[in-house]
Amino acid sequence: MSIFEPRYETMPREAMAQLQLERLQALLVRLKRNVRRYRELLADTRVESLDDLSRLPMTRPEDLADSFPYGRFALPLREVIRLHSAVGPEGRQLVMGHTQNDIRQWGRLVARQLVATGVTANDVIQINLGNGASGSYSGYVLGAQTIEASVIAEDPFHIDYQLAMLENYRPTVLVTTPTNAAALVALLDRRRIDPQSLHLRTVLLSRPVPEAERSALQSGLFARLQGNFGIAEVLDPGFCVQCPEGRFHLNEDQFLAEVADGELVITTLAREATPLLRYATRVSCLLRREKCPCGRTTVVLEPGARRDSQVLVQEMPIYDRQIRDVLAQTSAAGHPVQIEITGSEVILSLTVSTRIFDDLVGTLEQLQLEIESEFASRLGIKAVVRLVSPQSDPRAATG
Amino acid sequence: MWLQIKNLRCGYGSLEVVKGVSLHVDAGEIVTLIGANGAGKSSLLRSVAGLLAPWRGEIRVNGHDMVSQPPWRNVSNAMVLVPEGRQLFTDLTVWENLLLGGYHNPDRRMVIAEVLEKFPRLRERARQVAGTLSGGEQQMLALGRALVARPRFILLDEPSMGLAPLMVQEVFEVIRRLKEEGVTVFLVEQNATAALGVADRAYVMETGEIILEGETADLRRNPEVRRAYLGKGYKEVWE
Repeated sequence: MSIFEPRYETMPREAMAQLQLERLQALLVRLKRNVRRYRELLADTRVESLDDLSRLPMTRPEDLADSFPYGRFALPLREVIRLHSAVGPEGRQLVMGHTQNDIRQWGRLVARQLVATGVTANDVIQINLGNGASGSYSGYVLGAQTIEASVIAEDPFHIDYQLAMLENYRPTVLVTTPTNAAALVALLDRRRIDPQSLHLRTVLLSRPVPEAERSALQSGLFARLQGNFGIAEVLDPGFCVQCPEGRFHLNEDQFLAEVADGELVITTLAREATPLLRYATRVSCLLRREKCPCGRTTVVLEPGARRDSQVLVQEMPIYDRQIRDVLAQTSAAGHPVQIEITGSEVILSLTVSTRIFDDLVGTLEQLQLEIESEFASRLGIKAVVRLVSPQSDPRAATG
Repeated sequence: MWLQIKNLRCGYGSLEVVKGVSLHVDAGEIVTLIGANGAGKSSLLRSVAGLLAPWRGEIRVNGHDMVSQPPWRNVSNAMVLVPEGRQLFTDLTVWENLLLGGYHNPDRRMVIAEVLEKFPRLRERARQVAGTLSGGEQQMLALGRALVARPRFILLDEPSMGLAPLMVQEVFEVIRRLKEEGVTVFLVEQNATAALGVADRAYVMETGEIILEGETADLRRNPEVRRAYLGKGYKEVWE
């Protein structure tokens, strides 16, 4: 497999350390000059080696949420050509800006992943990431444009249309979520369609999956599977490159990684609009510096579980607090509720008063419908409401 | 890596001019350091050349530690400085200036012939006193004098200073040709447009610190560079 930017991806360790030190020092100067909050925190702080990084203040997701929307921007808004939102702590909104250079660089970083996956200018790429992933979608489009591959600029929601596109447009590369890939495998199976009749050569998954799931998807789609790992607030995709050996190589010319108490902490070295200093990602991680047969010299990330209450529902990051906030907007506000989250839906066991429980079926259906439609419109996820008699649910908590 | 600087601090008396700068120049690159007057660019270059003792930090040229080395040691490491304001021997002829540039080089007469091939105008004026040349010709002579030492790494301090735009183009064309011949160039310039046009990578220096680093194509699009150095103004609309 080829390497898109060998200058950076295979840079000798000493040269990379020099580049990172230079970029870190310049970043601190820019943060002190351009971002008031960092100026107050950093004062006269200087770094003379990468080891000094641990002396610098951390940026927590809560800090970003507190300075929403533009408090951490390092450039005037008129220089920002794109704004992407991300889900912050407890569902609070975060916004990340990109300048022209940030966008161009993003394209190059995603191109590194695509090239590592074997994508070339001759490929046709279908991207099915579903709702709530517009940021990632545009990242993949930028990467594909950078290597001049063809992109099908449609992301139909219904799996039937996705399959129709795979059959009609004959894409050779599919970028999708593990959930969607599994749904495609099931659909192919149900319709007795041989995956080899499609023209797929490579499938790039939006997040890492366990080996067993990976093998199942790989055989179900009859294509090589590569994964992606990103942090939405930092960059996703384009954060790291999964090499043919299956290792996640961090783009170290752009990001400086540390692990503090088991948590991945990232400093953006070259981002212009929204630089981040020691951002606590809330993701468990191990860093490995080892020689990789793929030729890349950059540090390898082994991402683990999230360390906060964020879960994925239909690939959308959701916090418990968001669910309770939506419930509070409905007639169910104040009723005891038990929340169960699966990968595909939120199951709400709502304990209603005996009076309501004994009420007309129509009232109950109306309540169910109201809650389900609030979840669909506010969070874009499916909620299943079960009405529980107070006598049958002694564990219910107050929502 | 031809030049590697880490945390360089230097200045004059108690005045710190360069405040902890790190940068590097890889073999075969043209790297430029741009910044306004008084940013500390020339002081940094003087430290690299051994003319200004660093207070702290590391300077390595082609892997050799240059801190506390005399300036002439640089020449034997195949590094030559073309100083700001040319610093020619104005009472000597063009030929004599070139001869002095090859002081360390036993093959200097042969090299001078090669240099004169590159700069036909100098050949025409070989017997002319350097002080009587035009600004552009003097800059060519300063460059030619440096090349007689057969450098593999050349430091250029403000080569466009005081030159007419056409002459600037000509000087930068010579710099571009140097790269083609395999010479590594570290160019310190105030003329950001010209410098970013010729270099592969650039550093932007303000009040003794590097504020930006990157490939020149990226820096030309950077809002801060455009505003401060490329004359593209805007009203501040933030905070």
